[in-house]
Amino acid sequence: MGYIRIPVMDIINILIAKIIGNLNLIETINETYLAVIFDVRLPRILTCTAVGAALAVSGSLFQGILLNPLADPYTLGVSAGAAFGASIAILLNLSAAFVSVPAFAFTGACATLFVVMFLSYSSKSPGLSLSSNNLILSGIIIGAILSAGISFLKFVANEQVSVIIFWLMGSFASKTWPDFLIVMIFLMAGLCISMFFARDLNLISLGAKPATSLGVDLRKVTIILLVTGSMLAAVSVSVSGIIGFVGLLIPHMVRLITGPDNRKLIPISMLAGASLLLFADTITRAILVHEIPIGVLTALTGGPVFCWIFKKSRLN
Amino acid sequence: MKLTLHNISFAYDNDIVIKNIDCSFISGNFYSIIGPNGSGKTTLLDLLSGFLKPGTGTIDIDKNPVLSLSKKQIAKNIALVSQDYSINFPFSVKDVVMMGRHPYIPRFSHPSDEDLDKVQLMMEVTGILHLQDRKVNELSGGERQRCVFARALCQDTQVLLLDEAFSNMDINHTLQMLSLVRQSVKQKDKLVISVFHDLNMASNWSDALLMLKKGEIKAFGNSQDVLSQQTIKNVFNVDSIVEFNEHVQAKQVYYPSI
Repeated sequence: MGYIRIPVMDIINILIAKIIGNLNLIETINETYLAVIFDVRLPRILTCTAVGAALAVSGSLFQGILLNPLADPYTLGVSAGAAFGASIAILLNLSAAFVSVPAFAFTGACATLFVVMFLSYSSKSPGLSLSSNNLILSGIIIGAILSAGISFLKFVANEQVSVIIFWLMGSFASKTWPDFLIVMIFLMAGLCISMFFARDLNLISLGAKPATSLGVDLRKVTIILLVTGSMLAAVSVSVSGIIGFVGLLIPHMVRLITGPDNRKLIPISMLAGASLLLFADTITRAILVHEIPIGVLTALTGGPVFCWIFKKSRLN
Repeated sequence: MKLTLHNISFAYDNDIVIKNIDCSFISGNFYSIIGPNGSGKTTLLDLLSGFLKPGTGTIDIDKNPVLSLSKKQIAKNIALVSQDYSINFPFSVKDVVMMGRHPYIPRFSHPSDEDLDKVQLMMEVTGILHLQDRKVNELSGGERQRCVFARALCQDTQVLLLDEAFSNMDINHTLQMLSLVRQSVKQKDKLVISVFHDLNMASNWSDALLMLKKGEIKAFGNSQDVLSQQTIKNVFNVDSIVEFNEHVQAKQVYYPSI
Protein backbone atom coordinates (compact mmCIF):
# COMPACT_ATOMS: atom_id res chain seq x y z
CA MET A 1 0.00 0.00 0.00
CA GLY A 2 0.99 3.62 -0.28
CA TYR A 3 2.39 5.22 -3.37
CA ILE A 4 5.73 6.04 -4.93
CA ARG A 5 6.41 9.39 -6.56
CA ILE A 6 7.87 8.84 -10.02
CA PRO A 7 8.96 11.85 -12.12
CA VAL A 8 6.71 12.47 -15.13
CA MET A 9 9.67 12.47 -17.54
CA ASP A 10 10.71 9.02 -16.32
CA ILE A 11 7.23 7.70 -16.96
CA ILE A 12 7.26 9.10 -20.50
CA ASN A 13 10.72 7.73 -21.14
CA ILE A 14 9.77 4.28 -19.88
CA LEU A 15 6.70 4.15 -22.09
CA ILE A 16 8.55 5.39 -25.18
CA ALA A 17 11.41 2.96 -24.57
CA LYS A 18 9.02 0.02 -24.23
CA ILE A 19 7.03 1.01 -27.30
CA ILE A 20 9.94 1.59 -29.70
CA GLY A 21 12.03 -1.11 -28.06
CA ASN A 22 14.98 1.18 -27.40
CA LEU A 23 16.25 0.25 -23.94
CA ASN A 24 19.06 2.85 -23.94
CA LEU A 25 16.56 5.48 -22.85
CA ILE A 26 15.88 3.81 -19.55
CA GLU A 27 19.38 2.82 -18.49
CA THR A 28 19.54 5.66 -16.00
CA ILE A 29 16.10 5.03 -14.49
CA ASN A 30 15.54 3.26 -11.19
CA GLU A 31 14.56 -0.39 -11.79
CA THR A 32 11.77 -0.20 -9.22
CA TYR A 33 10.15 2.55 -11.25
CA LEU A 34 10.30 0.32 -14.28
CA ALA A 35 8.56 -2.52 -12.47
CA VAL A 36 5.96 -0.22 -10.93
CA ILE A 37 5.08 1.41 -14.23
CA PHE A 38 5.19 -1.61 -16.43
CA ASP A 39 4.02 -4.49 -14.25
CA VAL A 40 1.76 -2.76 -11.74
CA ARG A 41 0.34 0.51 -13.01
CA LEU A 42 -0.02 -0.15 -16.73
CA PRO A 43 -1.88 -3.48 -16.47
CA ARG A 44 -4.18 -1.97 -13.86
CA ILE A 45 -4.96 1.10 -15.95
CA LEU A 46 -5.52 -0.89 -19.11
CA THR A 47 -7.64 -3.55 -17.40
CA CYS A 48 -9.72 -0.81 -15.85
CA THR A 49 -10.38 0.92 -19.19
CA ALA A 50 -11.18 -2.40 -20.87
CA VAL A 51 -13.63 -3.36 -18.11
CA GLY A 52 -15.27 0.09 -18.25
CA ALA A 53 -15.64 -0.28 -22.02
CA ALA A 54 -17.00 -3.83 -21.76
CA LEU A 55 -19.58 -2.88 -19.11
CA ALA A 56 -20.78 0.10 -21.14
CA VAL A 57 -21.14 -1.93 -24.37
CA SER A 58 -22.90 -4.65 -22.41
CA GLY A 59 -25.27 -2.08 -20.88
CA SER A 60 -26.15 -0.64 -24.31
CA LEU A 61 -26.94 -4.14 -25.59
CA PHE A 62 -29.15 -5.03 -22.62
CA GLN A 63 -31.04 -1.74 -22.80
CA GLY A 64 -31.68 -2.37 -26.50
CA ILE A 65 -32.76 -6.00 -26.19
CA LEU A 66 -34.86 -5.54 -23.08
CA LEU A 67 -36.52 -2.43 -24.61
CA ASN A 68 -35.76 -0.70 -21.39
CA PRO A 69 -33.49 2.29 -20.93
CA LEU A 70 -33.07 1.27 -17.29
CA ALA A 71 -31.72 -2.22 -17.89
CA ASP A 72 -28.06 -2.95 -17.17
CA PRO A 73 -25.60 -5.81 -17.56
CA TYR A 74 -26.76 -7.20 -14.22
CA THR A 75 -30.52 -7.14 -14.88
CA LEU A 76 -30.53 -10.77 -15.94
CA GLY A 77 -28.76 -11.89 -12.77
CA VAL A 78 -25.44 -12.43 -14.53
CA SER A 79 -23.58 -10.60 -11.77
CA ALA A 80 -25.29 -12.61 -9.05
CA GLY A 81 -24.28 -15.77 -10.90
CA ALA A 82 -20.69 -14.59 -11.10
CA ALA A 83 -20.70 -13.61 -7.44
CA PHE A 84 -22.13 -16.97 -6.45
CA GLY A 85 -19.45 -18.79 -8.45
CA ALA A 86 -16.71 -16.65 -6.93
CA SER A 87 -18.08 -17.16 -3.41
CA ILE A 88 -17.98 -20.93 -3.84
CA ALA A 89 -14.40 -20.77 -5.08
CA ILE A 90 -13.37 -18.62 -2.13
CA LEU A 91 -15.24 -20.79 0.35
CA LEU A 92 -13.63 -23.98 -0.98
CA ASN A 93 -10.32 -22.19 -0.63
CA LEU A 94 -9.55 -22.42 -4.30
CA SER A 95 -8.38 -18.80 -4.24
CA ALA A 96 -4.79 -19.93 -3.85
CA ALA A 97 -4.86 -21.29 -7.38
CA PHE A 98 -4.48 -18.23 -9.59
CA VAL A 99 -7.38 -18.62 -12.02
CA SER A 100 -9.94 -20.34 -9.87
CA VAL A 101 -12.01 -17.42 -8.60
CA PRO A 102 -12.38 -15.72 -12.01
CA ALA A 103 -13.01 -19.08 -13.67
CA PHE A 104 -15.74 -19.97 -11.16
CA ALA A 105 -17.24 -16.49 -11.48
CA PHE A 106 -17.33 -16.81 -15.26
CA THR A 107 -18.90 -20.26 -15.09
CA GLY A 108 -21.50 -18.98 -12.63
CA ALA A 109 -22.39 -16.10 -14.93
CA CYS A 110 -22.75 -18.36 -17.98
CA ALA A 111 -24.86 -20.90 -16.08
CA THR A 112 -27.15 -18.12 -14.87
CA LEU A 113 -27.64 -16.78 -18.38
CA PHE A 114 -28.46 -20.26 -19.60
CA VAL A 115 -31.08 -20.82 -16.89
CA VAL A 116 -32.65 -17.37 -17.45
CA MET A 117 -32.90 -17.97 -21.19
CA PHE A 118 -34.28 -21.45 -20.63
CA LEU A 119 -36.99 -20.06 -18.32
CA SER A 120 -38.13 -17.39 -20.75
CA TYR A 121 -37.94 -19.52 -23.89
CA SER A 122 -40.92 -21.23 -25.43
CA SER A 123 -40.80 -23.10 -28.72
CA LYS A 124 -44.54 -22.54 -29.27
CA SER A 125 -44.46 -18.90 -30.23
CA PRO A 126 -40.96 -18.03 -31.41
CA GLY A 127 -41.86 -14.38 -31.83
CA LEU A 128 -42.97 -14.02 -28.25
CA SER A 129 -40.46 -16.16 -26.37
CA LEU A 130 -37.42 -14.35 -25.02
CA SER A 131 -39.58 -11.24 -24.80
CA SER A 132 -38.19 -8.51 -22.59
CA ASN A 133 -40.79 -9.06 -19.87
CA ASN A 134 -40.07 -12.78 -19.70
CA LEU A 135 -36.32 -12.19 -19.57
CA ILE A 136 -36.46 -9.47 -16.91
CA LEU A 137 -38.80 -11.53 -14.74
CA SER A 138 -36.67 -14.69 -15.02
CA GLY A 139 -33.54 -12.63 -14.37
CA ILE A 140 -34.97 -11.12 -11.22
CA ILE A 141 -36.15 -14.49 -9.90
CA ILE A 142 -32.83 -16.21 -10.53
CA GLY A 143 -30.96 -13.18 -9.17
CA ALA A 144 -32.98 -13.32 -5.95
CA ILE A 145 -32.31 -17.04 -5.49
CA LEU A 146 -28.59 -16.55 -6.08
CA SER A 147 -28.44 -13.60 -3.66
CA ALA A 148 -29.94 -15.80 -0.98
CA GLY A 149 -27.37 -18.45 -1.92
CA ILE A 150 -24.55 -15.92 -1.52
CA SER A 151 -25.88 -14.90 1.89
CA PHE A 152 -25.89 -18.54 2.89
CA LEU A 153 -22.32 -19.01 1.68
CA LYS A 154 -21.23 -15.94 3.66
CA PHE A 155 -22.99 -17.34 6.70
CA VAL A 156 -21.11 -20.64 6.55
CA ALA A 157 -17.83 -19.05 5.47
CA ASN A 158 -16.48 -18.10 8.93
CA GLU A 159 -13.15 -16.35 8.52
CA GLN A 160 -13.40 -16.41 4.73
CA VAL A 161 -16.38 -14.07 4.83
CA SER A 162 -14.28 -10.92 4.53
CA VAL A 163 -12.57 -12.29 1.41
CA ILE A 164 -15.94 -12.86 -0.19
CA ILE A 165 -17.19 -9.41 0.78
CA PHE A 166 -14.08 -7.68 -0.58
CA TRP A 167 -14.18 -9.63 -3.80
CA LEU A 168 -17.82 -8.68 -4.33
CA MET A 169 -17.07 -4.99 -3.87
CA GLY A 170 -14.81 -4.91 -6.90
CA SER A 171 -11.23 -3.71 -7.31
CA PHE A 172 -8.53 -3.26 -9.92
CA ALA A 173 -5.66 -3.63 -7.45
CA SER A 174 -2.98 -6.11 -8.58
CA LYS A 175 -4.39 -6.72 -12.03
CA THR A 176 -1.97 -8.33 -14.43
CA TRP A 177 -1.31 -8.40 -18.16
CA PRO A 178 -3.25 -11.67 -18.62
CA ASP A 179 -6.30 -10.04 -16.96
CA PHE A 180 -6.10 -7.21 -19.45
CA LEU A 181 -5.66 -9.51 -22.42
CA ILE A 182 -8.66 -11.67 -21.50
CA VAL A 183 -10.97 -8.68 -21.13
CA MET A 184 -9.58 -7.11 -24.30
CA ILE A 185 -10.21 -10.24 -26.39
CA PHE A 186 -13.83 -10.41 -25.18
CA LEU A 187 -14.25 -6.67 -25.68
CA MET A 188 -13.03 -6.71 -29.28
CA ALA A 189 -15.14 -9.75 -30.18
CA GLY A 190 -18.15 -8.24 -28.40
CA LEU A 191 -17.74 -4.91 -30.12
CA CYS A 192 -17.54 -6.51 -33.58
CA ILE A 193 -20.67 -8.59 -32.95
CA SER A 194 -22.56 -5.61 -31.50
CA MET A 195 -21.71 -3.37 -34.43
CA PHE A 196 -22.65 -6.12 -36.88
CA PHE A 197 -26.16 -6.26 -35.39
CA ALA A 198 -26.46 -2.59 -34.36
CA ARG A 199 -29.09 -1.72 -36.94
CA ASP A 200 -31.12 -4.84 -36.15
CA LEU A 201 -31.00 -3.76 -32.51
CA ASN A 202 -32.49 -0.39 -33.52
CA LEU A 203 -35.40 -2.21 -35.14
CA ILE A 204 -35.91 -4.46 -32.14
CA SER A 205 -36.80 -1.36 -30.14
CA LEU A 206 -39.93 -1.04 -32.32
CA GLY A 207 -41.26 -4.21 -30.68
CA ALA A 208 -41.24 -7.87 -31.65
CA LYS A 209 -43.88 -7.81 -34.35
CA PRO A 210 -42.76 -4.69 -36.25
CA ALA A 211 -39.13 -5.80 -36.08
CA THR A 212 -40.00 -9.21 -37.52
CA SER A 213 -42.10 -7.70 -40.29
CA LEU A 214 -39.15 -5.48 -41.23
CA GLY A 215 -36.93 -8.50 -41.79
CA VAL A 216 -35.13 -8.98 -38.46
CA ASP A 217 -34.66 -12.58 -37.40
CA LEU A 218 -35.72 -11.66 -33.89
CA ARG A 219 -34.89 -14.87 -32.06
CA LYS A 220 -31.46 -15.25 -33.63
CA VAL A 221 -30.45 -11.64 -33.06
CA THR A 222 -31.81 -11.64 -29.50
CA ILE A 223 -29.92 -14.78 -28.53
CA ILE A 224 -26.65 -13.63 -30.12
CA LEU A 225 -26.78 -10.21 -28.48
CA LEU A 226 -27.88 -11.59 -25.10
CA VAL A 227 -24.95 -13.99 -25.09
CA THR A 228 -22.59 -11.22 -26.23
CA GLY A 229 -23.78 -8.77 -23.56
CA SER A 230 -23.66 -11.42 -20.85
CA MET A 231 -20.17 -12.60 -21.81
CA LEU A 232 -18.92 -9.02 -21.60
CA ALA A 233 -20.52 -8.62 -18.18
CA ALA A 234 -19.29 -12.04 -17.05
CA VAL A 235 -15.67 -11.44 -18.00
CA SER A 236 -15.76 -7.99 -16.37
CA VAL A 237 -17.16 -9.33 -13.11
CA SER A 238 -14.75 -12.27 -13.14
CA VAL A 239 -11.73 -10.01 -13.44
CA SER A 240 -12.71 -7.12 -11.22
CA GLY A 241 -15.73 -8.00 -9.09
CA ILE A 242 -19.07 -6.25 -9.24
CA ILE A 243 -18.85 -2.67 -10.47
CA GLY A 244 -22.30 -1.16 -10.62
CA PHE A 245 -23.80 1.80 -12.45
CA VAL A 246 -21.26 1.99 -15.31
CA GLY A 247 -23.39 -0.26 -17.51
CA LEU A 248 -26.58 1.51 -16.50
CA LEU A 249 -25.49 5.10 -16.45
CA ILE A 250 -23.10 5.40 -19.40
CA PRO A 251 -25.44 4.26 -22.21
CA HIS A 252 -28.22 6.29 -20.64
CA MET A 253 -26.16 9.49 -20.60
CA VAL A 254 -24.59 8.88 -24.00
CA ARG A 255 -28.07 8.36 -25.47
CA LEU A 256 -28.97 11.90 -24.40
CA ILE A 257 -26.16 13.14 -26.64
CA THR A 258 -26.03 10.72 -29.58
CA GLY A 259 -29.70 9.76 -29.72
CA PRO A 260 -30.89 6.15 -29.61
CA ASP A 261 -29.16 4.90 -32.80
CA ASN A 262 -27.07 1.94 -31.61
CA ARG A 263 -24.56 2.40 -34.44
CA LYS A 264 -23.39 5.54 -32.62
CA LEU A 265 -24.50 4.68 -29.11
CA ILE A 266 -22.44 1.48 -28.75
CA PRO A 267 -18.98 2.77 -29.78
CA ILE A 268 -19.37 6.09 -27.98
CA SER A 269 -20.62 4.38 -24.81
CA MET A 270 -17.56 2.15 -25.01
CA LEU A 271 -15.20 5.13 -24.99
CA ALA A 272 -17.19 6.91 -22.30
CA GLY A 273 -17.27 3.81 -20.10
CA ALA A 274 -13.53 3.34 -20.43
CA SER A 275 -12.85 6.99 -19.54
CA LEU A 276 -15.25 7.10 -16.62
CA LEU A 277 -14.01 3.93 -14.97
CA LEU A 278 -10.39 4.98 -15.39
CA PHE A 279 -11.24 8.32 -13.82
CA ALA A 280 -12.97 6.58 -10.91
CA ASP A 281 -10.11 4.14 -10.41
CA THR A 282 -7.59 6.99 -10.46
CA ILE A 283 -9.55 8.70 -7.70
CA THR A 284 -9.59 5.59 -5.50
CA ARG A 285 -5.90 4.94 -6.17
CA ALA A 286 -4.26 8.34 -6.17
CA ILE A 287 -6.51 10.92 -4.53
CA LEU A 288 -8.25 9.20 -1.62
CA VAL A 289 -6.13 8.60 1.45
CA HIS A 290 -7.22 4.98 1.68
CA GLU A 291 -8.05 2.99 -1.41
CA ILE A 292 -11.76 2.19 -1.32
CA PRO A 293 -13.31 -0.54 -3.47
CA ILE A 294 -14.17 0.88 -6.87
CA GLY A 295 -17.56 -0.84 -6.94
CA VAL A 296 -18.49 1.15 -3.84
CA LEU A 297 -17.23 4.40 -5.35
CA THR A 298 -19.11 3.99 -8.65
CA ALA A 299 -22.34 3.14 -6.83
CA LEU A 300 -21.95 5.98 -4.34
CA THR A 301 -21.29 8.58 -7.03
CA GLY A 302 -23.22 7.01 -9.91
CA GLY A 303 -26.37 6.52 -7.87
CA PRO A 304 -26.97 10.17 -7.05
CA VAL A 305 -26.02 11.22 -10.60
CA PHE A 306 -28.58 8.78 -11.89
CA CYS A 307 -31.23 10.11 -9.52
CA TRP A 308 -30.54 13.60 -10.82
CA ILE A 309 -30.79 12.59 -14.49
CA PHE A 310 -33.90 10.56 -13.79
CA LYS A 311 -35.63 13.38 -11.94
CA LYS A 312 -34.65 15.89 -14.61
CA SER A 313 -35.95 13.73 -17.45
CA ARG A 314 -39.26 13.24 -15.56
CA LEU A 315 -39.65 16.99 -15.25
CA ASN A 316 -39.14 17.65 -18.96
CA MET B 1 -49.74 -12.39 -57.41
CA LYS B 2 -51.69 -14.68 -55.15
CA LEU B 3 -51.53 -15.42 -51.43
CA THR B 4 -52.99 -18.84 -50.69
CA LEU B 5 -53.79 -20.45 -47.34
CA HIS B 6 -54.04 -24.23 -47.29
CA ASN B 7 -55.81 -25.72 -44.28
CA ILE B 8 -54.29 -23.29 -41.77
CA SER B 9 -54.78 -23.89 -38.05
CA PHE B 10 -53.17 -22.19 -35.10
CA ALA B 11 -53.43 -22.54 -31.33
CA TYR B 12 -51.94 -20.68 -28.38
CA ASP B 13 -51.27 -23.55 -25.97
CA ASN B 14 -54.66 -25.28 -26.01
CA ASP B 15 -56.73 -22.36 -27.25
CA ILE B 16 -57.48 -22.98 -30.89
CA VAL B 17 -57.57 -19.53 -32.50
CA ILE B 18 -57.64 -20.37 -36.20
CA LYS B 19 -59.44 -23.47 -37.52
CA ASN B 20 -58.75 -25.07 -40.91
CA ILE B 21 -58.79 -21.95 -43.03
CA ASP B 22 -58.60 -22.36 -46.80
CA CYS B 23 -58.74 -19.25 -48.95
CA SER B 24 -56.76 -17.12 -51.35
CA PHE B 25 -56.16 -13.43 -51.80
CA ILE B 26 -55.42 -12.07 -55.27
CA SER B 27 -53.51 -8.86 -56.00
CA GLY B 28 -55.40 -5.90 -57.39
CA ASN B 29 -57.95 -6.30 -54.60
CA PHE B 30 -58.63 -4.65 -51.27
CA TYR B 31 -59.80 -7.24 -48.72
CA SER B 32 -61.29 -6.52 -45.32
CA ILE B 33 -61.39 -8.92 -42.41
CA ILE B 34 -64.22 -8.33 -39.98
CA GLY B 35 -65.34 -10.26 -36.94
CA PRO B 36 -65.97 -9.96 -33.21
CA ASN B 37 -63.20 -9.46 -30.61
CA GLY B 38 -61.10 -12.56 -30.20
CA SER B 39 -62.23 -14.09 -33.49
CA GLY B 40 -58.63 -14.49 -34.70
CA LYS B 41 -58.30 -11.47 -37.02
CA THR B 42 -54.90 -10.34 -35.73
CA THR B 43 -53.66 -13.92 -35.49
CA LEU B 44 -54.59 -14.45 -39.14
CA LEU B 45 -52.55 -11.37 -40.15
CA ASP B 46 -49.64 -12.57 -37.97
CA LEU B 47 -49.71 -15.91 -39.78
CA LEU B 48 -49.79 -14.16 -43.17
CA SER B 49 -46.83 -11.97 -42.23
CA GLY B 50 -44.78 -14.94 -41.01
CA PHE B 51 -44.65 -13.66 -37.42
CA LEU B 52 -46.45 -16.79 -36.22
CA LYS B 53 -45.95 -20.30 -37.57
CA PRO B 54 -49.16 -22.16 -38.39
CA GLY B 55 -49.77 -25.34 -36.39
CA THR B 56 -50.93 -27.09 -39.56
CA GLY B 57 -51.08 -26.10 -43.21
CA THR B 58 -49.02 -23.80 -45.39
CA ILE B 59 -49.27 -20.29 -46.75
CA ASP B 60 -47.95 -19.78 -50.26
CA ILE B 61 -47.02 -16.54 -51.94
CA ASP B 62 -47.60 -17.47 -55.58
CA LYS B 63 -46.08 -20.98 -55.46
CA ASN B 64 -43.51 -20.46 -52.65
CA PRO B 65 -44.29 -21.23 -49.01
CA VAL B 66 -43.86 -18.00 -47.01
CA LEU B 67 -41.84 -19.82 -44.35
CA SER B 68 -39.31 -21.00 -46.94
CA LEU B 69 -38.34 -17.38 -47.56
CA SER B 70 -35.79 -15.58 -45.40
CA LYS B 71 -37.07 -12.87 -43.05
CA LYS B 72 -35.58 -10.23 -45.36
CA GLN B 73 -37.32 -11.68 -48.40
CA ILE B 74 -40.63 -11.77 -46.55
CA ALA B 75 -40.08 -8.14 -45.55
CA LYS B 76 -39.64 -7.22 -49.22
CA ASN B 77 -42.94 -8.90 -50.10
CA ILE B 78 -45.22 -8.34 -47.11
CA ALA B 79 -45.52 -5.25 -44.91
CA LEU B 80 -47.54 -5.13 -41.71
CA VAL B 81 -48.98 -2.16 -39.84
CA SER B 82 -49.63 -3.73 -36.47
CA GLN B 83 -51.52 -2.48 -33.47
CA ASP B 84 -48.43 -2.25 -31.35
CA TYR B 85 -46.82 0.97 -32.37
CA SER B 86 -45.38 2.22 -29.09
CA ILE B 87 -41.66 2.85 -29.21
CA ASN B 88 -39.55 3.08 -26.05
CA PHE B 89 -36.58 4.95 -27.44
CA PRO B 90 -36.60 8.52 -28.75
CA PHE B 91 -36.01 7.86 -32.46
CA SER B 92 -36.97 10.69 -34.80
CA VAL B 93 -39.93 10.24 -37.16
CA LYS B 94 -37.55 10.23 -40.11
CA ASP B 95 -35.42 7.47 -38.51
CA VAL B 96 -38.50 5.32 -37.95
CA VAL B 97 -39.74 5.76 -41.52
CA MET B 98 -36.23 4.96 -42.77
CA MET B 99 -36.43 1.65 -40.88
CA GLY B 100 -38.93 0.62 -43.56
CA ARG B 101 -35.97 0.51 -45.95
CA HIS B 102 -34.08 -1.90 -43.67
CA PRO B 103 -34.54 -4.96 -45.94
CA TYR B 104 -33.05 -3.04 -48.88
CA ILE B 105 -30.01 -1.45 -47.22
CA PRO B 106 -27.01 -3.79 -47.00
CA ARG B 107 -25.24 -4.07 -43.63
CA PHE B 108 -22.81 -1.21 -42.89
CA SER B 109 -24.14 0.79 -45.85
CA HIS B 110 -25.69 4.21 -45.88
CA PRO B 111 -29.16 4.66 -47.38
CA SER B 112 -29.00 5.22 -51.14
CA ASP B 113 -30.57 8.23 -52.88
CA GLU B 114 -33.47 5.97 -53.78
CA ASP B 115 -34.02 5.12 -50.10
CA LEU B 116 -33.88 8.79 -49.10
CA ASP B 117 -36.29 9.79 -51.89
CA LYS B 118 -38.73 7.06 -50.93
CA VAL B 119 -38.69 8.10 -47.27
CA GLN B 120 -39.25 11.72 -48.25
CA LEU B 121 -42.13 10.80 -50.57
CA MET B 122 -43.90 8.56 -48.05
CA MET B 123 -43.63 11.17 -45.31
CA GLU B 124 -45.16 13.62 -47.75
CA VAL B 125 -48.11 11.45 -48.79
CA THR B 126 -48.92 10.49 -45.20
CA GLY B 127 -48.71 14.13 -44.13
CA ILE B 128 -45.94 13.78 -41.55
CA LEU B 129 -43.19 15.70 -43.35
CA HIS B 130 -43.49 18.56 -40.87
CA LEU B 131 -42.97 16.09 -38.00
CA GLN B 132 -39.84 14.48 -39.43
CA ASP B 133 -37.43 15.72 -36.76
CA ARG B 134 -39.80 15.19 -33.85
CA LYS B 135 -39.22 12.30 -31.48
CA VAL B 136 -41.65 9.53 -32.23
CA ASN B 137 -42.45 8.81 -28.57
CA GLU B 138 -43.67 12.38 -28.16
CA LEU B 139 -46.28 12.23 -30.95
CA SER B 140 -50.01 11.69 -30.56
CA GLY B 141 -51.44 8.24 -31.28
CA GLY B 142 -52.76 9.21 -34.71
CA GLU B 143 -49.51 10.88 -35.75
CA ARG B 144 -47.53 7.85 -34.64
CA GLN B 145 -49.88 5.59 -36.60
CA ARG B 146 -49.26 7.64 -39.75
CA CYS B 147 -45.55 7.38 -39.10
CA VAL B 148 -45.83 3.57 -38.90
CA PHE B 149 -48.00 3.65 -42.02
CA ALA B 150 -45.31 5.60 -43.88
CA ARG B 151 -42.75 3.06 -42.69
CA ALA B 152 -44.79 0.17 -44.09
CA LEU B 153 -45.23 2.01 -47.43
CA CYS B 154 -41.45 2.47 -47.58
CA GLN B 155 -41.07 -1.32 -47.53
CA ASP B 156 -42.38 -1.15 -51.09
CA THR B 157 -44.12 -4.52 -50.87
CA GLN B 158 -46.69 -6.21 -53.06
CA VAL B 159 -48.74 -7.12 -49.98
CA LEU B 160 -49.83 -4.67 -47.27
CA LEU B 161 -51.47 -5.98 -44.08
CA LEU B 162 -53.32 -3.43 -41.94
CA ASP B 163 -54.33 -4.34 -38.40
CA GLU B 164 -56.75 -1.60 -37.38
CA ALA B 165 -54.23 0.78 -38.86
CA PHE B 166 -56.63 3.73 -38.70
CA SER B 167 -57.90 3.26 -35.15
CA ASN B 168 -56.38 6.49 -33.82
CA MET B 169 -56.50 8.65 -36.94
CA ASP B 170 -59.03 11.42 -37.41
CA ILE B 171 -61.57 11.01 -40.22
CA ASN B 172 -59.65 13.30 -42.57
CA HIS B 173 -56.43 11.29 -42.31
CA THR B 174 -58.28 7.98 -42.35
CA LEU B 175 -59.89 8.85 -45.69
CA GLN B 176 -56.58 10.13 -47.08
CA MET B 177 -54.75 6.93 -46.11
CA LEU B 178 -57.55 4.74 -47.44
CA SER B 179 -57.67 6.45 -50.82
CA LEU B 180 -53.88 6.23 -50.96
CA VAL B 181 -54.09 2.51 -50.34
CA ARG B 182 -56.92 1.95 -52.82
CA GLN B 183 -55.03 3.88 -55.48
CA SER B 184 -52.00 1.61 -55.10
CA VAL B 185 -54.25 -1.45 -55.25
CA LYS B 186 -55.84 -0.38 -58.51
CA GLN B 187 -52.87 1.30 -60.21
CA LYS B 188 -49.96 -0.82 -59.02
CA ASP B 189 -51.79 -4.13 -58.66
CA LYS B 190 -51.07 -4.39 -54.92
CA LEU B 191 -52.81 -6.63 -52.43
CA VAL B 192 -54.21 -5.07 -49.26
CA ILE B 193 -55.77 -7.01 -46.38
CA SER B 194 -57.17 -4.84 -43.62
CA VAL B 195 -58.84 -5.57 -40.29
CA PHE B 196 -61.78 -3.23 -39.66
CA HIS B 197 -64.28 -2.78 -36.87
CA ASP B 198 -66.42 -0.28 -38.77
CA LEU B 199 -68.56 -2.35 -41.14
CA ASN B 200 -69.53 0.69 -43.23
CA MET B 201 -65.88 1.62 -43.73
CA ALA B 202 -65.16 -1.97 -44.78
CA SER B 203 -68.08 -1.95 -47.20
CA ASN B 204 -67.10 1.42 -48.71
CA TRP B 205 -63.49 0.65 -49.36
CA SER B 206 -63.01 -3.03 -49.93
CA ASP B 207 -63.61 -5.29 -52.89
CA ALA B 208 -64.11 -8.37 -50.76
CA LEU B 209 -65.00 -9.15 -47.15
CA LEU B 210 -63.88 -12.03 -45.00
CA MET B 211 -66.05 -12.62 -41.94
CA LEU B 212 -64.34 -14.47 -39.14
CA LYS B 213 -65.91 -15.99 -36.05
CA LYS B 214 -64.14 -18.19 -33.51
CA GLY B 215 -61.32 -18.80 -35.96
CA GLU B 216 -63.55 -19.95 -38.81
CA ILE B 217 -64.58 -18.25 -42.03
CA LYS B 218 -68.31 -17.50 -41.87
CA ALA B 219 -68.49 -15.65 -45.16
CA PHE B 220 -65.99 -14.68 -47.85
CA GLY B 221 -66.66 -12.89 -51.13
CA ASN B 222 -67.65 -9.69 -52.82
CA SER B 223 -68.37 -7.06 -50.15
CA GLN B 224 -71.80 -6.21 -51.49
CA ASP B 225 -72.84 -9.87 -51.61
CA VAL B 226 -71.49 -10.84 -48.23
CA LEU B 227 -72.87 -7.95 -46.19
CA SER B 228 -76.42 -8.76 -45.11
CA GLN B 229 -78.66 -8.70 -42.08
CA GLN B 230 -78.27 -12.44 -41.81
CA THR B 231 -74.47 -12.61 -41.87
CA ILE B 232 -74.17 -9.74 -39.40
CA LYS B 233 -76.62 -11.44 -37.02
CA ASN B 234 -74.78 -14.69 -37.50
CA VAL B 235 -71.29 -13.30 -36.86
CA PHE B 236 -71.83 -10.43 -34.41
CA ASN B 237 -75.18 -11.42 -32.89
CA VAL B 238 -76.51 -7.93 -33.60
CA ASP B 239 -79.76 -6.86 -35.27
CA SER B 240 -79.20 -4.48 -38.16
CA ILE B 241 -80.66 -2.96 -41.28
CA VAL B 242 -78.52 -3.24 -44.41
CA GLU B 243 -79.29 -0.90 -47.30
CA PHE B 244 -77.65 0.20 -50.50
CA ASN B 245 -76.63 3.84 -50.14
CA GLU B 246 -76.48 5.87 -53.36
CA HIS B 247 -74.12 8.50 -52.00
CA VAL B 248 -71.34 6.04 -51.31
CA GLN B 249 -72.42 3.48 -53.91
CA ALA B 250 -72.16 0.68 -51.38
CA LYS B 251 -74.21 -1.13 -48.78
CA GLN B 252 -74.40 0.55 -45.38
CA VAL B 253 -75.34 -0.94 -42.05
CA TYR B 254 -77.66 0.78 -39.55
CA TYR B 255 -78.37 -0.41 -36.06
CA PRO B 256 -81.91 0.10 -34.79
CA SER B 257 -81.82 1.47 -31.25
CA ILE B 258 -82.30 -1.22 -28.68
